[in-house]
Amino acid sequence: MDDSMGEQFDDSDLNITEEVAAPTTQDFGLDDINTSDTEALTASQVIELMESAWLNEKFSPEILPHKTEIVDCLLGQISYMEENLENLESNDFQKSLHQMETYRLRYLVTSYLRIRLEKIEMFNYEILKQEEVREEKNEESYLSAGELQFAKEYKENLEQHFDNVLSFWPGLPPDDWKKEYIKPNLHSFVFLKSKTEIEGVIIDDGNEEDGDLVDFKNGSQMIISYNSVSNLVKKGDVQLI
Amino acid sequence: MFGEKAVELVKEVNRNKDSLSPYNTDLIEQVNKEICGLIEQNMEDANASIAGSSNTAAYIPTVNVRHLSVQRNLRCLLSYHHNRVRCLRNMRWEFGSLLPPEIKSNLSSSEAAWFSSYSTSLAKYMRSIGDDGGVNLGADMKPPKSLYIEVRCLLDYGKHQLGDGTVILLKKNTRYYLPRTDCEELIRLEIFEHLIN
Repeated sequence: MDDSMGEQFDDSDLNITEEVAAPTTQDFGLDDINTSDTEALTASQVIELMESAWLNEKFSPEILPHKTEIVDCLLGQISYMEENLENLESNDFQKSLHQMETYRLRYLVTSYLRIRLEKIEMFNYEILKQEEVREEKNEESYLSAGELQFAKEYKENLEQHFDNVLSFWPGLPPDDWKKEYIKPNLHSFVFLKSKTEIEGVIIDDGNEEDGDLVDFKNGSQMIISYNSVSNLVKKGDVQLI
Repeated sequence: MFGEKAVELVKEVNRNKDSLSPYNTDLIEQVNKEICGLIEQNMEDANASIAGSSNTAAYIPTVNVRHLSVQRNLRCLLSYHHNRVRCLRNMRWEFGSLLPPEIKSNLSSSEAAWFSSYSTSLAKYMRSIGDDGGVNLGADMKPPKSLYIEVRCLLDYGKHQLGDGTVILLKKNTRYYLPRTDCEELIRLEIFEHLIN
């Protein structure tokens, strides 16, 4: 599927709106010539953002700030596309193409949310602790409201379960296990692609004395330990690949 | 030696990483007993050292060893349970909120309680996503390759309604060419087998 195909659909007299046709362009990097200027964010831009968020989330060892707006926006688009699809006849050739597209987008969103949930469960204590710190400093929280709720419930459940397990000796210090929890390995190595010119990234090799500096050129690719670039990932200056 | 039974528990869970073995009540009780015994002995010694002032220092090494054994046992115990919980969690994603009976019988009551509350909070979270009624994260688990897939039915399932409303009769060893979304769950429940040419 390429751009010209997306255009073709728009030209046809069938009543498919632009939002339906636009995401069929598979090459997200290309500017969609069909999209109107009045929209703040075009359909393909939303997908592009979602895809970048998904990749970042997938490859970063720790949880990243949530992108609820993008998720909601894309979900809205998907249901809009699905509604439009209902109106098409089932033996229409276009229908299968668009249907496939909605499935792809659905996978993108659900996979993104699933990865986040997995991290929330795995690093539950660490994430909740960081959230508390952020709340105290009045910083923006990384978890969405729903995720935070889920994280808290998960913690409660696990504690309840462990308390049941350890209830055989009432005087047992119950808090011991809470001190040792699973943390993400921030020193793990990631592949990344720079989106802008960045100068003077300090390579954090766990040795404070010699912080080597490195410059990223626009579009250059690197393998680097995650903690050196975590800020850049969160700011969106680099893309994990 | 202290702690051996507890290590046995960890080994057991390590041996069956993907499946849930029966909850090992016997061994856990033995470990619990060991921990209780160690704590009691420690308390006795502690009381003795307070009461009789003579030679308090002589107690310290034994008390220390016992204390460390208790810590180690607890850690193994928790590791056993935590890994089982992780496994159970994967099963929630695989089978949905209803577990097959053969797995259910392997759970302890506390684990069953954990499972149902996990299911509840997961369902609650899924409902909270998006603006209209939530998203089922249990669907679309794999990147889609094609709209229709070829499947073979592995057992006499009976009638099954497809997404578009048509009802088909699923018989053992019959082949179908169906929309992927209709098959996904049935494949996970091992009613269908995905045929890849």
